[in-house]
Amino acid sequence: MPRLSYHLGQRGLHRVGPFGNLFLLAAFVAVGLASPSLLLKLGALFLIAASALLSGETPRAFLRSLRFVLVFALLLFVAQALSIREGATLVSIGVPITNGGLVAGAEMALRFLVILTASFLFVLVTDPDRLAHLFIRLGIPYRYGFALILALRFVPFFRGELRTVREAQQIRGIRPSVRSLSGLRRTVRYTFVPVLVSGLLRVDSITMSMSGRAFGLHTKRTNAEPLPIGAADGVAGAMGLLLVGLVLLARRYAWP
Amino acid sequence: MFPDRDRPALAEVSERIGAGEVVVVTGPSGCGKSTLCRTLAGFVPSLLRARVTGEVQIEGESVFASDAARLALRVGLVQQDPDAQICTMRVRQEVAFGPENLCLPAAEVNRRVDAALAATGIAHLEDRDTTTLSGGEKQRLAIASILTMAPRILLLDEPTANLDPAGAKAIFDTLAQLQARKQLTLLIAEHRLAPLLPLEPRLLVLAEGRIVTRRAARRHEDLVALGLRAAWPRCPDRPSNPSGGGVEIHGISFGYGTVPLFENLSLSIRPGEILGVIGPNGGGKTTLLRLLAGLETPNTGRIDRPRGLRGGMVFQHPHQQIFERTVRHELEIEGPLGARDRTALLAAARLDRLEDAAPLSLSLGEQRRLTVVTTLRTRPGLLLLDEPFIGQDRRNAAWMIGRLLEARAAGAMIVLVSHDIPLLASLCDQLLYLGNEAIAGSPQDVFGRLAELGHDAFTPGYWDGDGP
Repeated sequence: MPRLSYHLGQRGLHRVGPFGNLFLLAAFVAVGLASPSLLLKLGALFLIAASALLSGETPRAFLRSLRFVLVFALLLFVAQALSIREGATLVSIGVPITNGGLVAGAEMALRFLVILTASFLFVLVTDPDRLAHLFIRLGIPYRYGFALILALRFVPFFRGELRTVREAQQIRGIRPSVRSLSGLRRTVRYTFVPVLVSGLLRVDSITMSMSGRAFGLHTKRTNAEPLPIGAADGVAGAMGLLLVGLVLLARRYAWP
Repeated sequence: MFPDRDRPALAEVSERIGAGEVVVVTGPSGCGKSTLCRTLAGFVPSLLRARVTGEVQIEGESVFASDAARLALRVGLVQQDPDAQICTMRVRQEVAFGPENLCLPAAEVNRRVDAALAATGIAHLEDRDTTTLSGGEKQRLAIASILTMAPRILLLDEPTANLDPAGAKAIFDTLAQLQARKQLTLLIAEHRLAPLLPLEPRLLVLAEGRIVTRRAARRHEDLVALGLRAAWPRCPDRPSNPSGGGVEIHGISFGYGTVPLFENLSLSIRPGEILGVIGPNGGGKTTLLRLLAGLETPNTGRIDRPRGLRGGMVFQHPHQQIFERTVRHELEIEGPLGARDRTALLAAARLDRLEDAAPLSLSLGEQRRLTVVTTLRTRPGLLLLDEPFIGQDRRNAAWMIGRLLEARAAGAMIVLVSHDIPLLASLCDQLLYLGNEAIAGSPQDVFGRLAELGHDAFTPGYWDGDGP
């Protein structure tokens, strides 16, 4: 599984606050969903990759975290190319491959890639704590904002617990089996019960820790850390506006 | 009394603690120390359901008529596992979490945060990701995040249980400084008593939920008088001619990412030998066990094991290696047992009345004994134990030591990771320190070298006979 989580960093989009990154993500999603232009989607994909590199991601790690997305995009392309038979036939491999099928496949795959890679990049460069604080400032009750933060804190915890439990099984000679219903039931019970117990113990402790620091005492809470909007947010905002403008132009003039 | 228990967690406890007083609560595991702390912090019965009788007052206000969030203005509780109480992603945010909940002005929140970070010596970590901190740093963060609430009463529930000796020493030093500066009322639940003597505490000894002893403690002699400082007896020598080959570690190096945990480590473990592994949190002790268990492969070097060697491992948290729905089923995962063998095994572990009980409903001590029994029933030639004594009282620890010595007498190689320096000093044939450098040898040689290097907290003299 790709390890999708926030990476600490000081470069590129890490210098942009959560509001700027959220706006940029919305602009990329607009390109993916609303732009009819393949070239614009390709350009957006290039921009996302360049932003990832500028933000300190190595090409190998970024591609590795996206490998399931890339495989799925390829499958989408192939499925569309094989199933849509509009336009001129370019080649036949038992079924005709048409230029309409290829364009539709590219359209679908690029739409999927732009939205997913932009979302991946957003998660990699956006501090979830600050994002939650942004949501709270935008009017979402702070309990929901902290639910997001806690959920994100539990991801590495569950990953670690799962690994430990699997190792404990390995050492005791327990082989996970999904070949029969009883084997599947045993595997699920042997794996998820210990992890669930760990999770419940952790939830108890966190609840006490939060209540013991007056969480929920008032309907509002202070946010001592400012969410400054700086030059980097300005650049991100301008980039987002440019993308939205290009989407409108592409729709107006039917860019290829 | 908790709904799932057959006896009260606390019974007939009456005590008055004065402002600015330091009280240390000690006693065997399950005696009610944590329940006492949680009750005083207002978690019982508002968050942890229980039937309570009597009255607890803090500064004249009834705890049972209030709740934890409101009591947080006066009382702060630092729990045993620092990892389990951090709820944000960065150090500064974590310390600010409490005063932000109090709706204080941002300037006041920041003033308190700066003061708490400085008081606990972690100001340099304020921008760090909380998941990247060491155990000692996390515990100091937990204390800082309570201090920002400006409580007049600070409760600490075994604050050093998960820390290496150096980290524990730093916490005790921090508490002494805080007490000297702020005149906090401190209530500390602890097994390690000797390092707390400079605070000149009043000791409360709990047993089965009752206070059985009250006494001021200023010197080691006070602990001796209470029977709280009995040293571990020296274990018998290693058996002279155990059969079979040993495990040879040849120049292994290992690290996660680009950070090496150890480099070019070589070591022999002979049959019938107990190797103790000590060192700071994050120094690679658990990783060494994982390498020996074959769960990781060294980056360079190799580990030679005798052909057909059977391994067994006792994990730090028992629930991570308990899978079945009853104790009997758990014991038979590796294969069925005759009724007589099963009864004998369970009786030896004092679990014979719990054969049909759900393992995860057992106490921590019972779960630990069960995991030791299930591991030993396969007669492993290489037995690996990761901090098996955490949260265990002296009786449980003594039981485990007895089983380890039986396994050693039968020729098993035992690798034991622990922060309990006095225990390892009496138990081990060989010692390995994994820190900035690896030091291996006889316990005397390793402790001598550590003393020369100034790592006093890793030598038995610093702990002076404290046991679990």
